[in-house]
Amino acid sequence: MEGRCAVETLAGFGFSGTSCIPRVKLGFGTDVFLCTGSDEVYVFSTQERKLTAVLQCPGPVSDLVESHDKQFLYVACRSGVYCVSLQFLLSRYEHSSPRADASSSPAELKISSEFLVAAEEGVLSLLVVGSVLLTLSQRDVFWTLTLYKSSNYEKLSSFSRVSGVVHNDAEGKMGRRRRPALICVLSSDATPPCSSSTSSSEATLSDGHVRLEPVLFKLLFGIDVALAKSPVILCGLPDGCLCFLPLRLPGSRLRVLRSLEQPVVFVGASAPGQCLVAVGEQGRVVLIKTDKEGGGHKTVFIEGCVPAPVMCGCVDKNTLYYSTGSDLLLLDLSEGSTAREGQERDEETRSKTDAALQSPTSLNVCRIVALAVSACNTAVELLGLCVRGQLQRITLPVGREDATLSKVPSTQGGRSVRDLLSAIGDVCERASVLKSAIKSKNQILQHLNQVLNISFLLTASTHSEEQLPIQQKPIRCHARTGWSRLLQEDSLNLTCVLDNSSPYVLERGWTLSVALFPLSCPPSEGGESSSAHFSFPFHNLHPGQTFEVSLPLAAAGDASFPMTVSCSLIFSLTSLLGEEAADLAGLQSSCVSLPLNTLTVDWLHALQVNSPTATPEKVTSQTSNPTDAIQDFLMSRQIRGSGRAEGGGERADQYSASVRVSAQLLRDTLLLKSSDLDPQGPKLAPQNVCLSLLDWLLSEGAGGVTTGRQGDKVALCSSGIHARGPNGHAVKLTAKEVNVGEESTGKEESPTTVEVQVQSSSIAAVCGLHHAVLRRVQTLLQRAPASTKSVQSLGLRRSLQRAERLLQEIQQSRISVAFGMGASTGQMTRTLLSVYRELRENPLLIM
Amino acid sequence: MSNKMYQTHSLLDIWIQENNELVNKWKQQEGGDALSRHPSQNQTHLRLCSSEFNKLLRKIQGIPPLADHTQLELTVVYNACVCSMAQSQFSEAQLLLQQATERVLQMTGDDPVASDPTGFWRTVLKSVGNTALTPCVLSLLCLQWAIWLSTCQLKTIQEFQDELFSVFETLSTGVWDEGRREPRGKSSDIPLLVMDPRRLVELLQICTLIAQGAERLSEGRSSEALSGLQSAFSLPAPRTLIAYTHLLSGSCLAHMSRPQMALQCYRKALETDSQCVCALYQSMLIYRQLGNTQAEIQALRLLHSTLTLPSATEPALAGTHLLSPSLLLCSRSLSSLLSVPSALSVLHNLALNCVLHGRLSEGVEYYLDLLAALHSEDQHGVHAEGPPLPRLPELYLQAGAALLMARRPADCMALCDEVITTTLELLPEKVVLEEPEEECEAETKALSAGGEDEKVRMLLWAGAAYLLQGHCYTHLKDWKPAVTHYTRCFNLLVKVRFKKRGLQPQIPSADVVGKQGTDLCILQRLKGLSLAGRGISFTQTDQLREALRDLQLSMQALPECAGAGLWCGEVLWRLGRRREAAACWEKTWSFTPQPSVESLSVYLQEPQSGPLLDSMELRRRIQELGPTSSA
Repeated sequence: MEGRCAVETLAGFGFSGTSCIPRVKLGFGTDVFLCTGSDEVYVFSTQERKLTAVLQCPGPVSDLVESHDKQFLYVACRSGVYCVSLQFLLSRYEHSSPRADASSSPAELKISSEFLVAAEEGVLSLLVVGSVLLTLSQRDVFWTLTLYKSSNYEKLSSFSRVSGVVHNDAEGKMGRRRRPALICVLSSDATPPCSSSTSSSEATLSDGHVRLEPVLFKLLFGIDVALAKSPVILCGLPDGCLCFLPLRLPGSRLRVLRSLEQPVVFVGASAPGQCLVAVGEQGRVVLIKTDKEGGGHKTVFIEGCVPAPVMCGCVDKNTLYYSTGSDLLLLDLSEGSTAREGQERDEETRSKTDAALQSPTSLNVCRIVALAVSACNTAVELLGLCVRGQLQRITLPVGREDATLSKVPSTQGGRSVRDLLSAIGDVCERASVLKSAIKSKNQILQHLNQVLNISFLLTASTHSEEQLPIQQKPIRCHARTGWSRLLQEDSLNLTCVLDNSSPYVLERGWTLSVALFPLSCPPSEGGESSSAHFSFPFHNLHPGQTFEVSLPLAAAGDASFPMTVSCSLIFSLTSLLGEEAADLAGLQSSCVSLPLNTLTVDWLHALQVNSPTATPEKVTSQTSNPTDAIQDFLMSRQIRGSGRAEGGGERADQYSASVRVSAQLLRDTLLLKSSDLDPQGPKLAPQNVCLSLLDWLLSEGAGGVTTGRQGDKVALCSSGIHARGPNGHAVKLTAKEVNVGEESTGKEESPTTVEVQVQSSSIAAVCGLHHAVLRRVQTLLQRAPASTKSVQSLGLRRSLQRAERLLQEIQQSRISVAFGMGASTGQMTRTLLSVYRELRENPLLIM
Repeated sequence: MSNKMYQTHSLLDIWIQENNELVNKWKQQEGGDALSRHPSQNQTHLRLCSSEFNKLLRKIQGIPPLADHTQLELTVVYNACVCSMAQSQFSEAQLLLQQATERVLQMTGDDPVASDPTGFWRTVLKSVGNTALTPCVLSLLCLQWAIWLSTCQLKTIQEFQDELFSVFETLSTGVWDEGRREPRGKSSDIPLLVMDPRRLVELLQICTLIAQGAERLSEGRSSEALSGLQSAFSLPAPRTLIAYTHLLSGSCLAHMSRPQMALQCYRKALETDSQCVCALYQSMLIYRQLGNTQAEIQALRLLHSTLTLPSATEPALAGTHLLSPSLLLCSRSLSSLLSVPSALSVLHNLALNCVLHGRLSEGVEYYLDLLAALHSEDQHGVHAEGPPLPRLPELYLQAGAALLMARRPADCMALCDEVITTTLELLPEKVVLEEPEEECEAETKALSAGGEDEKVRMLLWAGAAYLLQGHCYTHLKDWKPAVTHYTRCFNLLVKVRFKKRGLQPQIPSADVVGKQGTDLCILQRLKGLSLAGRGISFTQTDQLREALRDLQLSMQALPECAGAGLWCGEVLWRLGRRREAAACWEKTWSFTPQPSVESLSVYLQEPQSGPLLDSMELRRRIQELGPTSSA
């Protein structure tokens, strides 16, 4: 549409009410009645541009209507319908403000129960037809249309209907009850019900009733209604039903004309009466017209969809105006109403109407929540109530069809500038909303870019994992273990440090996820892996920064080591989109997970080294706490008991395993390494080799995990360490130099070896520590410079003999099991255990 | 101790005072302008009273039951219950009663053993014995009775009837006053009641008898019902209720096939209460059954005038405002006996009866009254029980036919014009009339408005309107427009295709005869009448050939159409085919008028106003012809 819509703000009313939908009604003369959903009704004079009266009602006002003779105003509240004499009201106004005083305050009237004319709860809509006052109320699931005689408010009759499925969700969201549309329809050949109106053309406006073409009227409501010349009450209910009730037909019932399947917001008709229109909240528009088909007329229902949500609507002549809250739109109803003859023509016009339904014209006025057509001679004028409670006059551009007005009079020019300014204000508002939307979109895009960069970096590093050791990964985790004592309970904590050495910032939305799971499970749990997951969301991690989190590994006694700690970074889309994501149900759980690196915490990490002050023999009773002592006692009993069962009377604390490493190897690796730092150089005593091996075993950060013990160096003064494993058992770790060469062949200088021996009463501790030591030594081997020392006769024969014997033993036991010769499983295990121990106690030398 | 006594006494006094103030306030309101005031205001006042009594009761029941307080407590319970019941909140009242009686039992130390209501009340009565509390407990029992009655638990009442009726004896012999005066001397200390239990028990007794009578009558035990009702005649009761007992007795007698005695009873009911319209209605039905048309019309006229009179609300019996008989009598069987058709329906019946029985001018007036009522602004779609009014076009056509019979063709034509202009635009080019299903015809007729049936019906109405207009012109001896209108009628009728189940739709041939009252029957009748009318018109303009064709076709469509037969003979006679004419006449006279004709709408009957042939003259002609034919 060419031309601009002029918007002029007439007055501002606070917008406090939320329980009822606001309403604007044109009153007699230039008065406008408004309810904004609060307890108050305002009477505003458009001529004087002033608020003339305020009615204070006992509850939120749901609807108001004026009597035909303009004498009374009916106001519907929750508790009933109240009636105020307008004469009385205005006389009060004039009384309170002499004409000369322009700045007078409006008349105020508190409506009390003496004004109550119909006590009925839940009245949502009102209508006056002739001498009848109609109320439409909702109680529970019933819609009730009640007729009152307006002379003495005697209840004439009432009609009830069970409500269909009311779309409660939206209603709850809005927090207000919808007002059903309630109008009165007359056949245009019927005499107006109120005899006061003079001419029929005026009647349409004066009584506010809708006139329909006789044919359409008869088709819709039946021939009896047409013969009785009865007005018909049409109501559009929030359950989507369009119902009608012939007012003056004996035995008439409330019947359904059509269902819109969405709350009906507006029902009206075009001024010539050729088209009845109903608009649903979600934008469904139904046009009801007549169609000539094969000589007889029939009703056609043209359905279309317009942009939603529809907040309110009104019809002026042939145009439907409706507001979606963000825009005021215009829909032409007249198309197709003129051409009538011929099937083709009809088809054509119908498609035309459909097209019109699909493309309503925008008027660029936003935030209108209530509309009314204002009577005006030259141009179409609408009165709208905007969402902030401002009453606005919206003047549509003239000459949309007849461009006769060539010159704008000067008075009009002045006004149009003002209109223009207010329209600009309106546009400004829209623009700022759009701007902020664009800004937030840009931010989201930037954020997403960072996320993608990080994702590529991490996936690239996983592909080339072999080449990149942990230390060189751009984003990585390392960890530290440490025992802490809290509430008499020892627990092992793992401190995980995320190191961001990449050039990108880890922004909001990233989460560090740490998963802990044991490498092997204790048989008691039936092989079921007991893993724990921790996630730590963080805000911004700039390049070079670290993020440190702490998590419990295990309380003393219940954990199985070694444990694998796998770290990953997780990014969720929900945090990226913020509130917008809440609408998209599919996005709720979608996220990207990028693995970082995996760490291993083994028995050596989990050892609790006893301070040297404690006597090594009394490790178990180290704590002075009596309950602890008892616990230890019980534990030792248990072990002994079980040990006896397995070991057949063997001493329980005698499990041991050892690892032999060539001293040369150690010197090459450990001392070379320390020589870089230590000026003392390689001249280390053999004792020192043992010490440094133990030191290294306990403190070295193998696999990215370091132990958090400080001052434990002191414990290394002797070649043995007393410690407690995570299951609470005392363990002893000793390192000593031994000679493993075959004594009989004393010709050659046998290589010195260092034997690390693990001793404990717990077989689990022995196994675990043995495994841990082996793992460490393995890393040592990887690090060692290539040496080509020949290994000769290093007690090989002895080992071979031993191996043969063991093999025999195993075979023996297998045979006995196979023959079932009284060999119990206990015996079997015992044999296997002894073989295991033999192997562990006399290891091969690691060069 | 004495101090404590004083305190509780004063508390008691305060509560009694509070109760009495409430009762006095209520009585003031009620005694004032209860009738002139708005009913909703009355309801508001009642609600207020009820909540006040409940509040007081909660205060009293806040302490454990004490013998001193019990009388007051029961009085307040009584008041609160009456207020609740006056608002039809029977379950609330029942709850209050239950709580109060349980507290009485708690006080007397008896255990409520019986779970059924009658057993429970027997326990209560026994435990109270013959103490000062008896009147209070009896008044509560009255309320229980009222609750049973208004919730239609007639079986329970029957079980407990002896005890209930002895309550009536006890209360009416003055135990009440004695019992209440006993504990305290001053009258200001007696807690007041909103409604005298003696009045209540009187009301309950007669209402119980009425309800039981209605129940038995509906179960077909007429004589048993009658004997029960006989005992109610002499009870002290409002006139309305006495009239009900007479009315019910009348209905019993009518069921026992004693119409004259029933009429006597109805007359008695009317004498007792002139507003008892159902008695009038029932008598009308009996007159109709007896075939006494004049009396039936008279009864209808009385019924209509009574229904249209502003109902003079009878002043209720003093002190029974709160619990009205209508609140107590709500059984379905009774309300179906008391139901009366709406004033409009009665008026229509009256008009139709007058027209059918020759009281034309009267009938026409009633029809016009009916149409005026339908168009009046005071008509608000009030839905009443009983037979619904015929559809509006039907009424217009009936009124038109009546006007024509009363020789007012211009008015008739105006009404027909109305029907035609309303329907004309909606008439279809073709319409298919399906053979109706056997049983569910009535329902489908009612439901399928707007569908194909409605189209057929509209077409038939328009056709009938043209037919009536044709009759009007015939009456005015204006033959040309008469022919035009008859032709229009016929042209409309041929648009109807009849579809037998399993066959293709076709124009119904002349010999297809529909069942009485069906659309097909009406269609064939309209065809016959319009052809006959046109034929007769043609005879008047001496177009004998056309006349003969139409009349013969008419006789095919509607063999019992006397006018067509006679005029067909006349045309044949004029054409010189005298033998055929004589045979035609003889054949026509041989048709006895079918009794079912009366049940047809008036506008479908043969016009009485057209040109007539004198049968005597025709017979004379046959006689003249006779010897030649035999020769």
